[in-house]
Amino acid sequence: MRVRSLCYFLEEALKSILRNGWMSIASVGVVAITLLILGSFMIISINVNLFTEDVKEQVQIVLYIDETANEETRLELERRLVSHPDLEEVRFVSKDEAMERLKQKMGDQAYLLEGYEGEEDNPLRDSYELRTTVPEDITAVAQQIKNYPGVGYVDYGSGIVEPLFQFTGLIRLIGLAFMAGLAVTAVFLIAHTIRLTVYIRRKEIMIMKYVGATDWFIRWPFIFEGSFLGMTGAIIPVLIIFYGYQAAVLWIQNNIHFIPLIPPQEITTEMIKLLLPLGVGLGVLGSVISVRRFLKV
Amino acid sequence: MIEIYHLHKEYEQGVAALKDINLTIDRGEFVFIVGASGAGKSTLLKLIIREILPNKGSIKIFGRDIVRLKNREIPLLRRNIGMVFQDFRLLQDRNIFENVAFTLRVTGASTREIRKRVPLALSLVGLKEKAFKKPNELSGGEQQRVCVARAIVNRPSILLADEPTGNLDPGTSMEIMNLLHDINVRGATVIVATHAKDLVDHFQKRVVVLEYGSLVSDQERGVYINAR
Repeated sequence: MRVRSLCYFLEEALKSILRNGWMSIASVGVVAITLLILGSFMIISINVNLFTEDVKEQVQIVLYIDETANEETRLELERRLVSHPDLEEVRFVSKDEAMERLKQKMGDQAYLLEGYEGEEDNPLRDSYELRTTVPEDITAVAQQIKNYPGVGYVDYGSGIVEPLFQFTGLIRLIGLAFMAGLAVTAVFLIAHTIRLTVYIRRKEIMIMKYVGATDWFIRWPFIFEGSFLGMTGAIIPVLIIFYGYQAAVLWIQNNIHFIPLIPPQEITTEMIKLLLPLGVGLGVLGSVISVRRFLKV
Repeated sequence: MIEIYHLHKEYEQGVAALKDINLTIDRGEFVFIVGASGAGKSTLLKLIIREILPNKGSIKIFGRDIVRLKNREIPLLRRNIGMVFQDFRLLQDRNIFENVAFTLRVTGASTREIRKRVPLALSLVGLKEKAFKKPNELSGGEQQRVCVARAIVNRPSILLADEPTGNLDPGTSMEIMNLLHDINVRGATVIVATHAKDLVDHFQKRVVVLEYGSLVSDQERGVYINAR
């Protein structure tokens, strides 16, 4: 492409954007709103994922050892646990360690535990903390090992874990469906909006064809126009998401402490990487689709 | 320069717009294509600039069969053929200068070339003083002159005019026809599709008569034959 032509294309694209003032603003608005919703859902989805992963990390089976079991039964139990194919981690927690943990948890009120220390007085039991390779398998595995000899009882937070997994799965599914639908809508809307600006200029395109302009010569200004509109439309949601998310993170951290969140800087980088090319791509795609019909002269 | 052999064009509805047309037009000729509406005049011009393709036959321009042109070769053909329309087709949001410069811009001409050639074309059609007016500030005849200037600014060897006086009063029509005649005298081959009987009779040029898609008469220094 010659420099002279490039200048002409850029100039034409800019002139066209200004000439179609309101239409251009509408195009930018459509891109911005679509990408804003898309971006917001991405953020929610990413954080729900993070939260789910976090919860999964914490999900474990606690197996309390039957106090009446002898040393041989205990060793046999440990051997079976360690060789279990679905268990990723098997960790023995003695009742002394359990007492230490309880003390730490109680903090200032640890003095209440005085007198319960020592081999004889400790009311807590020896236990194993087990992690399954696949967190969702926890119920099945717990049911299975419950019946091993030497097991007192198992605790895996049944009644909490399952609904939680179902809920996060559902959220992820809804988010994905929503994003897919939104992306299709975006392409549709943008193509339609740009088609209107092309339609306004159909006479110009026809004359260009008659006086011997090549198809690419006609296309380029629209491609520049589309990519410029798309880019502007993408910058707006990136800014809104950056400041909005920052505020949201601050509020959540001050009010609901236990929810893990992705830092704003990281999200913004991700959003720029995703939304800018997407905006430009949508703009270009919309232009190419829209011009094609009018090139048949 | 233009050689047409056994040209046949049928539109989708099965209507034959042109039937077995044979026609040769030499360099520097001035030809009127006449006939009633629907006789096939516009179809013939559209075939010559390759806006549409024929069902049968060939059209040789500068010795090349344009029916076989690749899509990317069409622009090059059109840069050698100027086109004047009945409805002018000017861009209302640009001034006269820009409308004429448009032809040069889309072919990648330099600014220097544009500044040299556009005023030349405008003075040829007598509109140099109105270069910076918008089309809607001009009369119909003046707008058609702009259209002519736009068609000739890159000096094509062929100028096609499709009913160029269709929207103009008789006096103005004569001026436009004189202008096309001038352009012909300067060396371009000019083909005018029209049904303006008085003008055709006045100029005493070659007249090709189309009737229901067939070529029924082709006379040197002819007159308008009202075939239908």
